Amino acid sequence: MNMIRLIAWREYMENVKTKGFWVGILIFPLIFTAMYFLQTTLSNATPTRYYILIDQSGKYEQAVETAIERDHQRRILQSFVSYLLDNRKESDLNLTVANPNSGVDQFVDDVDADEVAALEEWLDSGGLDFALTMASPNLEEDAPPFVAPEYQFIAAEIPTNVDVNSSPEEIAAALRPYLRGDSLITVNGESADLFALILIPENVDNDITRPNTMPLNSGGPAGIQYWARNLTDSRLPDAISISINSEIRGREYQQLGVDNQLVRNVQRTRLPLSQLDPTAEAGEEAVSMADTFRQFAPIGFVYLMFVSLMQSVQYLLSNTIEEKSNRIIEVLLASVTAGELMMGKLVGIGMSGLTTIAVWLFSFYLFVVLYDSSQTELISQILEVVLSSDLIPWFVFYYFAGYALYSGIFLAIGSLCNTLKEAQALMMPMIMIQIIPIAMMAFVVLDPNNTIVRAMSWFPLFTPYLMMNRAAADPPMIDVVGTTILLILSIIFVLWFSGKVFRMGVLRTGQPPKMMEIFSMMRSKH
Amino acid sequence: MDRPVPNSVLRLKNVVKTYGDFTAVDGVSLDIPKGSIYGFLGPNGAGKTTTIRMILEIIKPSSGEISILGHPSALDVRNRIGYLPEEKGLYKKMKVWALIQYFAMLKGMNKQDAKTQAWTLLERYGLKDFAESKVESLSKGMGQKVQVLSAVAHDPELVILDEPFSGLDPVNQLVLEELIQDMSANGQTVIFSTHVMQHAERLCDHILLIAKGKKIFDGTIDSARATIPRRVFVETSDNVEPLKTLAGIQEVIEDETQANHWQLRIDEQVNPQDILRTCFEKGISLSRFEFTEPSLHDVFVHLVGDDAREHEFR
Repeated sequence: MNMIRLIAWREYMENVKTKGFWVGILIFPLIFTAMYFLQTTLSNATPTRYYILIDQSGKYEQAVETAIERDHQRRILQSFVSYLLDNRKESDLNLTVANPNSGVDQFVDDVDADEVAALEEWLDSGGLDFALTMASPNLEEDAPPFVAPEYQFIAAEIPTNVDVNSSPEEIAAALRPYLRGDSLITVNGESADLFALILIPENVDNDITRPNTMPLNSGGPAGIQYWARNLTDSRLPDAISISINSEIRGREYQQLGVDNQLVRNVQRTRLPLSQLDPTAEAGEEAVSMADTFRQFAPIGFVYLMFVSLMQSVQYLLSNTIEEKSNRIIEVLLASVTAGELMMGKLVGIGMSGLTTIAVWLFSFYLFVVLYDSSQTELISQILEVVLSSDLIPWFVFYYFAGYALYSGIFLAIGSLCNTLKEAQALMMPMIMIQIIPIAMMAFVVLDPNNTIVRAMSWFPLFTPYLMMNRAAADPPMIDVVGTTILLILSIIFVLWFSGKVFRMGVLRTGQPPKMMEIFSMMRSKH
Repeated sequence: MDRPVPNSVLRLKNVVKTYGDFTAVDGVSLDIPKGSIYGFLGPNGAGKTTTIRMILEIIKPSSGEISILGHPSALDVRNRIGYLPEEKGLYKKMKVWALIQYFAMLKGMNKQDAKTQAWTLLERYGLKDFAESKVESLSKGMGQKVQVLSAVAHDPELVILDEPFSGLDPVNQLVLEELIQDMSANGQTVIFSTHVMQHAERLCDHILLIAKGKKIFDGTIDSARATIPRRVFVETSDNVEPLKTLAGIQEVIEDETQANHWQLRIDEQVNPQDILRTCFEKGISLSRFEFTEPSLHDVFVHLVGDDAREHEFR
């Protein structure tokens, strides 16, 4: 026992002292933080985009401008919501749709539930000015003033060489160099890149399609022509399409003699949907955000388990191979038994793995505390929910079980190989096996007690991952008990077996053994 | 050799190790007295390392019995044994003193004693300046010295060194010889394997000669020398016929490669002076008269003979 502790301690200290260990540990939170900031910066840094609108039909210019204005207002709305979340006095994640306690929560909730309707309401009630008045009593005293985002889409002047009355083909041909970025347009005396051309041909109404009519195929592009070389930013075409269609529908209603206002009111009529959880206590069935997080939390645990286990077993493998190729193992075996050496290694490297997780959680916590914003507040609340849930014991159990199972296997592999290269060939199938539950994890959370998932949970190599994944969904007792027994039996078998392989393997040199040799190792008495 | 040796620290009885069809060690028996310096000699691949590994119970013999420090298994007494394996390797990233401390602790020493001992040894054997260095910065020879020290830091009763001299320069070979003699003087038993006869000749009081897994000889150096008849080399152009009848001379052989060179094989108790006097009296004029004790090298070649050569070219 003393020897195991001594070996484990040396393994741990030597591991922790290497630069590679800390690089491996810190790269994860660093990338996480970098990604977070990059994403935030990128979404704020979308440049101003210039467009040209040519409406030959003369009917839709207003609708397009409305669309762009609406998009702008939507961005104000979104940024106002996040401003509100950052600066309001207190927030409680356990609020549900059914019991909002203030106008602000109602407002945030409405935006969350139906952004289109919320935007209508926002515009109707007077937009930002009204919202600021409404929210100000709920803001913290030291809240900074709200800064509305600038217009993102701005109409540019039509270059002089373009005749707006010529055919759509000619206009498109004339503007093509600008749209391609070969030529620049002039905006307020400065050159700028033309982002998009919205071209509405004269007879665009002919292309309107209605139910039970076949669209006329004229061969060319139908309807409104949206020209842009950026194919991924769909906000502008989407906004235009929605706005013009709403305009067209409005006209149709008029032609059919239906009051437009009536239609808008009908469209905004809605019935809320309350999600209720039958497993909760009476009176607390309403599903809150926290409940949803709790259901999804296993994904995080499974992922954490996977990353940490992969890292630990890799250490174990390379470390065993180092000792083996250095022939240190022989000195060690003259001092301790193979069993003590193996257990010492498992414990020592396991401690390194736990250190990794601890450092990750700590840096995550640090990030949340130091960088205070609505998103991080959300994260810290999620963290709180998860930590207070009953998932932690599951995670601890499955983490250790998974570690014992996989490290036993990897240790046996390491003891049979002389170089990392040799080991990689043997490692590959083991990694592939772990990829399967990882690839399934999002799906498993949605349908945790699905027959296939239940069946797969009984395979010991999947058990730690899949049962962790299902933990939040109260899996049937037979699954929990059965797979646990099977898992523990497999761990005992794997540790016993790899102990044998380890003893035989560590003093071997030359080629990795053939399958038959491994079986004969199993049968041998020592 | 079945007569019991008093104070035996290690006894092998008919030990065999087979790997499939290959017999690495074939029925070796020996008895090693306490406090001796015992050499395992043999050509490469003779089974020295396999024997040592079986003694330490790193591998188990296929058959036969081993008794070490009075116990049937080295595992029971492993804290009383020090072992330097043939292939040398150390943790590259550790500091020299910490490494010695660690290996001593694995042998049951407590942390503080192990540290003190590490520093003492490093100072005594000229490595004090490197104590704080990492192992990877040491030269090969220094690394090997460190490994020897780490194998004996816990003052083991029985020290087993597998090829301890290989890779050391002559100066450090002497340092190592000194270390072995120190331990022997301290009452510790030292077993080492080598294929360099000079070390064995200088250090050992007992040797085991092994080839192709079989024991060829074991016993004291003197009895090893005795396996070769004592010889006198003479060079003369006169008739050597009178010498052939002299008492104590077994044989007179003419050297086929050199003219007028003769080899006289003599009985053990014969004084070479008597032969010289007889030559004088019989009027045999000598241009050379040489009497030498056979070296261990001669014994080795004599006993192992063609096997050694075969192994060399494997």
